[in-house]
Amino acid sequence: MSGRASSRHSSGRAAGLAALALLAALAAPPMAGQERFRRTPPLPDSQTVELKLPAVGTSVLRNGLTVATAVQPDVPSVTLQLVVMAGEADSPSALPGLAALTARMIGKGTRLLSAENLENMVASVGGRFSTSTLMDYTVLSMRVLPENLDRAIYVLRVMALEATFSERELAGVRRIAYGELLEQKKDPEVLAWRHLLRRLFEDHPYGTAVYADDVIKFITARDVATFYDRYYRPTNAAVLVSGNIDAADAALKVSSLFGGWAGPPVGRSVIPPPRPNARERVCYVEAPDVANAAVFAGNVIMDASDPDFFPFLVLKQILGGTTRSRLFMNLRESRGYAYYAFSETEFFRSCGVYWARALVGPQAIVPAAREILREIGILAGEPAAAAEIEEAKSYLVGNLPMHFDSPQGFADWMARYVALGLDEAHWDKGPERYKLVNAEQVRGVAKEHLSANPLLVIVGRPEWLGLVAGEFAAVEVYDARGKLLRVLPKGEMP
Amino acid sequence: MRRSTVFLLLFVLAAGSVPGAGRQGPVRGPLGFSVEEFRLRNGLRVILSVDNRLPLVTVAVGYGAGTIRERPGQEGLAYLLENLMFQGSENVGPLQHIGFVQKVGGELNATTTIDKTLFHQTLPSSYLALALWLESDRMKSLSITGAAIQRTRAEIVQAHRGRLASDPYLASFTEFDRLLFPDHAYGHPLIGSGEGMEGLAEADIEAFHRAHYVPNNAVLAIVGDIDPDRTKELVARYFETIPAGDDLPAPAKPEFRKESDTVARFVPIRLSSAGFHMGFRFYPLQPGEIDVLRILVCLLFEGDTARLRNRLLRRDRTSQFVSAVLEERLSVAALKVFSLNTNADMVNRSERAILSELEKLRLSTVSQEELNRARRRYKLSYYDRVSTLSGRALFIIDAAFAGTALDSLGADLERALKVEPPALLTFVSRYFTPQNRVVLELGPR
Repeated sequence: MSGRASSRHSSGRAAGLAALALLAALAAPPMAGQERFRRTPPLPDSQTVELKLPAVGTSVLRNGLTVATAVQPDVPSVTLQLVVMAGEADSPSALPGLAALTARMIGKGTRLLSAENLENMVASVGGRFSTSTLMDYTVLSMRVLPENLDRAIYVLRVMALEATFSERELAGVRRIAYGELLEQKKDPEVLAWRHLLRRLFEDHPYGTAVYADDVIKFITARDVATFYDRYYRPTNAAVLVSGNIDAADAALKVSSLFGGWAGPPVGRSVIPPPRPNARERVCYVEAPDVANAAVFAGNVIMDASDPDFFPFLVLKQILGGTTRSRLFMNLRESRGYAYYAFSETEFFRSCGVYWARALVGPQAIVPAAREILREIGILAGEPAAAAEIEEAKSYLVGNLPMHFDSPQGFADWMARYVALGLDEAHWDKGPERYKLVNAEQVRGVAKEHLSANPLLVIVGRPEWLGLVAGEFAAVEVYDARGKLLRVLPKGEMP
Repeated sequence: MRRSTVFLLLFVLAAGSVPGAGRQGPVRGPLGFSVEEFRLRNGLRVILSVDNRLPLVTVAVGYGAGTIRERPGQEGLAYLLENLMFQGSENVGPLQHIGFVQKVGGELNATTTIDKTLFHQTLPSSYLALALWLESDRMKSLSITGAAIQRTRAEIVQAHRGRLASDPYLASFTEFDRLLFPDHAYGHPLIGSGEGMEGLAEADIEAFHRAHYVPNNAVLAIVGDIDPDRTKELVARYFETIPAGDDLPAPAKPEFRKESDTVARFVPIRLSSAGFHMGFRFYPLQPGEIDVLRILVCLLFEGDTARLRNRLLRRDRTSQFVSAVLEERLSVAALKVFSLNTNADMVNRSERAILSELEKLRLSTVSQEELNRARRRYKLSYYDRVSTLSGRALFIIDAAFAGTALDSLGADLERALKVEPPALLTFVSRYFTPQNRVVLELGPR
């Protein structure tokens, strides 16, 4: 049950004011008479405990379907996932959003059962069913209590393998998705992220793989059926079961219910990523409904299997991983330009993307953008201090286990691990890999991946464009759907 | 929390003056995890729960310092204190608490409810001592300065006004709570307009802190990859010498005026669409009735096939969005429904649909199959709540403040799973009456 109203008023501090903490360090001398142990923070236990995750047991059925299990005896629920190796990047370029709409149509009917019948079946196992579509894969997920697992496997099989697609149900799904898109137009960071992908991946599937409100209404049930027929195949899918299970028993049940799923192999090639952006390039996205501006700067980087992966994450942490990192300290705490400023990475099948992001008021757009570019430039050219590197590693090592704390978090990580074919470094060997990162590697990846000019994307109201024009060599101006409106040469005002 | 359990809690908190008094070994309840409790001389109640899945630990402290402790004119005081707890103490500078936790990869948060203010952090278990040092320092020696008060108060009010400006419905939730809980202690908002907070005197803030942020008004929960003996040593080291405060009276019992009919109001919003809040207040409840209510709310709202969600969103399609929450404010429970609609006609139709579905529940018995679905949903939600370290720590603190015995953790789940159709019918007939109903409609002026 969820509601907007709650008796528990939450007030997170994570994006708060940690930086002041450093300035205030040692400000208050300890009072005489207090116990000595209170004066300084205690050291950690000398013997750190290693992260040990349940092994992911994997097998492949005769029909090509991968079955993976992970036993968590102390978790009171089971998460059942059908991972289909087709994500937004697999949507045809003319029909962005088709992959996500197809996933959302699972559970909306079979040849014999209506959407309501299927919802009743999910309810009868006390389950929670959800879908999520990422760039390279889609996850259909159902969480249930262990005693309902057998029936849940059957329900998932019926919903996913016998799916049919009616225009009536699609209209409902489209309407909800359309409403979400309109809502997202008020979020400058969502718009900035989409535009960053569009421009970094021009003429590449990753560039077109986002919803578009002007296209979604033209997607038909036939389009959905065609996409489903092409990609929802056993050789292109995996069933994952994690939680309080008997692994052998769960695998056997999946095998018996999904073993009869037939279909030819799927031809799915990996399209090489484009080269990183190198030239100075500024995009301004006009978004009339936003309350603040978003400033993003990012570029294409290596994929998650690359040896640079772990050193780069340390670098990203230094740049803007937390409120103690450079971007937050500079843009918010020192200069007061931004409400917040962080850096992020995301990794797809063939490459990754890094970006710095800040939410700012209109007057701070230009100075914030300049500071972001300056911080990236500094990190590319000047070696980070050893202490800074060690603090970033400490954070990453300590924070990694948190991703596995909730059943859903564990399941998400497992789906990524299987779908992207990652190795143990992306399971429980991650902390060891972080610990091995040295200063030389961090300097190397900084030079390699941050030296090229990042693409700068600014999202703001149309009337704020005048604050930006003239400040950069040229400004490409787009509408919120990504259509190029004009290019303002340097010095020209809108 | 029921009145009697408040007295019980105060008795338990105050009684311990001997190390280890009331100590009991680990007990394992129906939820599948063990808990162990002990008390320090100063009355601090400590509860440990070992979970070795991950090399992490959650340290959570709950103080009996929620909004119910605010007097008229002090709205926002509890929340202000929650924020001031990050502004430094004798050995920890302003906001350093956050920095220490983040530096080692930890995460933290704080929350104020009607009866408690909660602080919790999850971090690598090798840093357990760090978390205890941080929490004990601010329990022992919080630094409340005029500058910190001014700065914190300004930030809170500014952020709150920003939320009010960007969310056209937010103010209506506050107004609805006032109508549904027409007793200041139970119905006033966390912040309100911000005016109450701006009028708070420094002396009031210090007095509130002195009275409520004391070990004998707190529960410390430690959940995760811990060695119990070592943890007990650390807890004693950091917390035992913190002086106890005065005993606190139990929170006031609510006094709701008797209504002869439904309370119905209208508030304008700056949008062309419409919507409404509908709530039912349940007070006083008899023993066991809260379990019935929890299952009933699942049956009505949990999942796409739940009766009211299905009716409003799928069958009639009169609502564009519906949420429902069962809110328990100590001994008072309330079902709160919020709906967004395209216009006033749809509002009326949705309201009638809700009353119609409730009437059906009053007149005909729920099938065993439908009841089983609600039970399974409820059970999964209940387990979800305790499936993370921080979730379990907060669950334990909630239970401690509610006076639940540790060996009874999860007993309410078992009771709810035994609720039968006749109990649902009786509950609906008794409590879903016009006199218990409050409606607040929203629309253009």
